[in-house]
Amino acid sequence: MSAAVNSSLVFRPITRADLPGLMELVGRAGVGLTTLPPNEGELGKRIDASVATFAGTADPRDGLYLFALIDSASNKLVGVSGIAPAVGLRQPWYSYRVGQVVHASEELGIFTQTPTLFLSNDHTGHSELCSLFLDPAWRKDRNGALLSKARLLFLAQHPDRFAKKIIAELRGVTDNNGKSPFWESLGRHFFSMEFAHADYLTGIGRKSFVAELMPKHPLYTSFLTPEAQAVIGQTHELTRPAQAMLVSEGFRYAGHVDIFDAGPVVEADVADLGAVKSSVLLPAEIGPRAPSAHDVPHLVSNTRFADFRVALIPLPRRGRITLTAEEARLLGVAAGDDVRVVPLSTKDR
Amino acid sequence: MLILRPSRIADLPEVQRIADASVIGITSLPPDRDRLFEKIRQSVESFESDRDVSGEETYFFVLEDTATGRLMGTSGIAAQAGFHDRFYSYRNETIVHASPELAVSNRIHALHLCHDLTGYVLLTSFWIDPSLYNTEWPQLLSRARLLFLSEYSQRFGDKIAAENPGVCDDQGQSPFWDAVGRRFFNMDYPQAERLSGGRSKTFIAELMPHYPIYVPLLPPAAQLAIGQLHPVAELPFSILLDEGFDTDTYVDIFDGGPTVEARIATLRTVQGQRRLPVTVAPAPLKGGKPHLIANLSSEDFRATIAPVLAEGGERAQIAPEIATALNLSSGDAARVVPL
Repeated sequence: MSAAVNSSLVFRPITRADLPGLMELVGRAGVGLTTLPPNEGELGKRIDASVATFAGTADPRDGLYLFALIDSASNKLVGVSGIAPAVGLRQPWYSYRVGQVVHASEELGIFTQTPTLFLSNDHTGHSELCSLFLDPAWRKDRNGALLSKARLLFLAQHPDRFAKKIIAELRGVTDNNGKSPFWESLGRHFFSMEFAHADYLTGIGRKSFVAELMPKHPLYTSFLTPEAQAVIGQTHELTRPAQAMLVSEGFRYAGHVDIFDAGPVVEADVADLGAVKSSVLLPAEIGPRAPSAHDVPHLVSNTRFADFRVALIPLPRRGRITLTAEEARLLGVAAGDDVRVVPLSTKDR
Repeated sequence: MLILRPSRIADLPEVQRIADASVIGITSLPPDRDRLFEKIRQSVESFESDRDVSGEETYFFVLEDTATGRLMGTSGIAAQAGFHDRFYSYRNETIVHASPELAVSNRIHALHLCHDLTGYVLLTSFWIDPSLYNTEWPQLLSRARLLFLSEYSQRFGDKIAAENPGVCDDQGQSPFWDAVGRRFFNMDYPQAERLSGGRSKTFIAELMPHYPIYVPLLPPAAQLAIGQLHPVAELPFSILLDEGFDTDTYVDIFDGGPTVEARIATLRTVQGQRRLPVTVAPAPLKGGKPHLIANLSSEDFRATIAPVLAEGGERAQIAPEIATALNLSSGDAARVVPL
């Protein structure tokens, strides 16, 4: 495995100055990037919420940590990802819990298992990984893993800012026109609205309004179309790598799906996440570092809060941490400062 | 002359002939000799029960052509729907899903499994010979039951219901069943119906979906079948509508056919009937308008349609052959209602 990484990339809290870059970035996302609608006002609100959260001035119910992935060579914003410290405290948080009912009569020789969907608020108060989007031109060299997993180091460094449990919603299956078979079979009947519009309303914080129009009674999935039944708990093709990455860190599907597109919600205990358990604090040395055939990419972060930073750095699996002067500058660390370190890939840990 | 009277064990061969001829949807007339025998035996006991009633009674009437002895129709009453168990129906409900913020308001039709009709008096077993469809005799067959209910009101509750067969195709396949019951049963409708005729219907209802069914999720054919009547039942159904039964609230859990219900006291026949002493006319009766007329006996209940001459609204004058057929003598009371 090559240890080649983009040494110019740094992960840090988003700032108000990032708005034009963010707007340009999400313009490329299209339907499905629910929490980042391509609307400058909405994106500005997201950034403000994040800035306030880092500043400690946000109402805890509105908390949001948004991070930008910056190419320091061009000073360009190439990716974004976030963590919500607690969902569902301002507006109800809905998901469907996939269950089943058994109807059986030995006397009649009948035994049928029918999957059901129960509307739930089970994840209320959980933290959430959210809002991940990477510029397609940068989807290489483990940059996606950096953008996603750097958040886990933030969780590891600041666990008291988050709930014990964390979830991530994965995009459900849609066709080439952005139509969701699940939505077409279920949601559409309950209000005349295109999936894309419902998704947009959700993105601008109106998901609970939309959810209030959805059926409240448990649903027998056998009343849905076969196409809709087939996508319950299924991840969009383009989101499967992200799912695999989360699963490798300890997230798992525990039977909850999104109420609109039936994409899976994966969940984990923060303390059990691979990157949280395996990361260690070590003092950084600064100086020249000779590349080695044994180097593997490591996530390296500083230990700060509002000026939290992460970079992907090839390091030997064991031994002292030596950062180049440039890496130390990107991370904002001085010689002797502690850094948090974990191999990027779970198999290198 | 046609006379409605309680069924007797001796009627069994004729009742069996009728059961063989009747259509899918009348599960209370199973084409099975032992069960028909049991049905008649229970009915005989019920008519004899007088004050000693439990709610388990089932009353089975037959329409006899006195000239030939041939039975031309059947009808019945069950004292309490679902006696000692639950009686299941789907209740039509409207759920409003509204969001003022999104300027959306939708009325969603849902079916809610319920026991609302448990304990209601149930009208059952209506069948009439096709040769009598366009006569007044179906009126007697259906409505004479209401005269019986009026006379023996202490044996019955104050609410009443009647199941009506829903739509199915020539093979007996029901679009409602295919969309709902079949998903929980893996068997076709005629098969399920045979089971439900043979066992408690409740037993099967226990296996049906208990959460509300959102109607918009059903296929169009199943949606159309909700509350739709099988064409064979138009005649008895129209009589119940004329009586003032409500058709909008309940449907059958198997085929989606309309289950009608009412308060007994509000039914047209119950409101219009009168209990009057009879006068047997010196034959023949001159004038008189056609009425349903019934004697007041239980075991020897008799009813027919005949001209009645109202004497100042205090007595009912009837022809001697009618009096004979109904076991009435001058001075006996009878229940009469204009046809």
